[in-house]
Amino acid sequence: MTLSRRSFVKTAIGGAALAATGPAILRPAFAADVTKIRSLYALSGTFAEAGKTAELGARIAAPQFAKEYGIKVDYKAVDSEGNPGRAVAKILTEIQQNQVKYFVGGVLSSSALAMSEQVHKANGVFITAAGADEITGQNCNRSTFRWSVPTYGASRETVLPLIEKYPNAKRWYTITPKYVFGEALLQNSIDVFKEKGVEHVGNSYHSLSETEFSSYLTNASAAKPDVLLLLNFGSQSTNTLRQAANFGMKQKMKILMVWAEGLEQYEEIGADIMDGVYVGCQYDVSIKSPGNKKIIETFKAKGAPVPSYSSVSGYVSTDLILRGIKAAGSSDPAAVIKALEGLKYEGPTGQEEIRAFDHQCVKNYYLLKGKPKAQMKNKYDLVEIISSGKSFVPQNQSLCKMA
Amino acid sequence: MRRLLQPHVELAVSLAAVVVLPIVLPSIAMATEVVIFIIATLGCNLLIGYVGLMSFGQAIFFGVGAYACSLTLLHSHVGIGAGLLAAIAASAIVALFVGFLSTQKRGIYFVMLTFAFSQMFYFIAYAMAGLTGGDNGLLDIPRPPLVLFHVTLLSLTPPLEMYGLAAVVFVALFVFLQRVITSPFGSTLQAIRENEQRAIAVGYNTRNFKVIAFVLSGVVTGIAGALYALFLQFAPLGNIDVSMSERIIVMSILGGTGSLFGSVLGGTFYVVAGNMLSAIWPRWLLLLGLILMVVGCYLQGGLLGAAERLARRIGRRGPRAMTPAASNKPVGRP
Repeated sequence: MTLSRRSFVKTAIGGAALAATGPAILRPAFAADVTKIRSLYALSGTFAEAGKTAELGARIAAPQFAKEYGIKVDYKAVDSEGNPGRAVAKILTEIQQNQVKYFVGGVLSSSALAMSEQVHKANGVFITAAGADEITGQNCNRSTFRWSVPTYGASRETVLPLIEKYPNAKRWYTITPKYVFGEALLQNSIDVFKEKGVEHVGNSYHSLSETEFSSYLTNASAAKPDVLLLLNFGSQSTNTLRQAANFGMKQKMKILMVWAEGLEQYEEIGADIMDGVYVGCQYDVSIKSPGNKKIIETFKAKGAPVPSYSSVSGYVSTDLILRGIKAAGSSDPAAVIKALEGLKYEGPTGQEEIRAFDHQCVKNYYLLKGKPKAQMKNKYDLVEIISSGKSFVPQNQSLCKMA
Repeated sequence: MRRLLQPHVELAVSLAAVVVLPIVLPSIAMATEVVIFIIATLGCNLLIGYVGLMSFGQAIFFGVGAYACSLTLLHSHVGIGAGLLAAIAASAIVALFVGFLSTQKRGIYFVMLTFAFSQMFYFIAYAMAGLTGGDNGLLDIPRPPLVLFHVTLLSLTPPLEMYGLAAVVFVALFVFLQRVITSPFGSTLQAIRENEQRAIAVGYNTRNFKVIAFVLSGVVTGIAGALYALFLQFAPLGNIDVSMSERIIVMSILGGTGSLFGSVLGGTFYVVAGNMLSAIWPRWLLLLGLILMVVGCYLQGGLLGAAERLARRIGRRGPRAMTPAASNKPVGRP
């Protein structure tokens, strides 16, 4: 094809026009006084179940607390696709495209760690509910706050009470996802085993993309443990528990899922399988506290499903950002960070407090047990709280060195 | 079907695209991502479009390039050039290994071999968590300034400078691949694609040509992986997952194989549409599936083929748009 001079001039003019108007077309204009908040949860992919529920919580919280605190908010959900690389690329896009400074999210610890670094580089604020100790430990930074209890507390508040409840259950087998979250849960659990003289009879590692757990369960059965400890999360722990029940392991040993996703996961697993299974969780709808009462009423008024850990984590994370802005009297991230450090508030699990030195929220973690079907008052009444408590790495042992 | 865009026009349009992308796209980050995936698509296109080899091993080279560059920068105080050279060397070695073994077979067996290698390298990266970070990936990868003879060319701190680096690398690779394609070596690759038996009968050792093409493709894809790691300052395990190969193949097919400019269209379309559609609908990949079906059934030349058909229709209406002599020029000959 030969390009005529006229065609070339037309193309050049067209290209120049597009270049000139493109940014105006593609870049939305926002008012300067609006606080932009982005949630980055996995809305697609393997961990979409937890991500979508967490996003729902953030979506409910943003307009509610914006109104309550008198702050103009522009909230948008961004799909992290459950892929840390995509999550980081999308954070960069949001920072550059919309000058966003406030982020909530990170279902997976590996995503949350990478996201935390990017937000920190942009001097923003990031609130997450991911579990790995590193987030408020050796990889802590000024920008990142965590609402959820990390793996240290999750292990201690579930494994320890169960050892005390069943002193004869001396042989424990673990199934662990091989990434930062699973490794941290495993190490913390092993520390508890050593402390209490429990024998760790074996561990099976699996990848984050694993969906079939029968071979790991066969190994676990062969080790003849008294307790099967599931250290995986989301659909992976659901599948492991289901397959373990199919193998008849529930009758032969106690099963403890240290980090459960909450109500929607219990429903997905089903009452029959949940019966007698121990789970650890950050939140349960049956918690008696003024903060939880308010959340239940809010969700009910919005026509949303009964609150669960995932939805409440998104809800509280968004609330914390807006609470920080209100306390600081400014939307400057540096001022908001300062306001959040040491903040005490009435949260869903009772009185909650953000430690200033590592930005970790101090709150309860719960050990729950699946109820027999006959004892369920309604379809949401799948578990009962056995115990709760607060376990956190003390400041003198913390690996967090805030820059 | 004859190509409408001659190599020099393709280059000019690609150069224009590089200039326009950071202006028209919502962010420089998105433009950088687009350019990086165009480079990866160029590598894939060399194999699919010019040799007729459908390789599911592209993620291996992308991941190896990312890891090699990241590890070099994390564990030594060398410049970005050394990181990129490490990516080139590592991806070339791995591509030689994978290419040498895979090209022993043809057709479906070749595809299955590349798929198997992809899985193998994924699990190697996963298992060697001490080196690769496993599922956590490599975090906090340094991005030192681009220095040449003690002169800082780019600090790479502002987003536009990172884009500039990716864009310069893209243009250099585009020109390089154009030279490869239009060389006698490139013509032989296309002869293999058209009829391998005839190429063998003429006296070519087709396997050697395929292995060399594999190495070239691996190096180009490895450079894309290295740039992606520099851009994100993070090298996730997903880089080396077979889903990355699928993404790169989809970009190649969407854009149109057999033309380097098709890679520009495919990479741009996939990344931009993916970012924008995923913001609207988490199930946007369904739409992509539909688009791929349309491409597979009706637009086998991809977006470039569709654009060419449109241009031909318009051209038929006006005699000045295209002369018959120009349209009959052989493929890849200026």
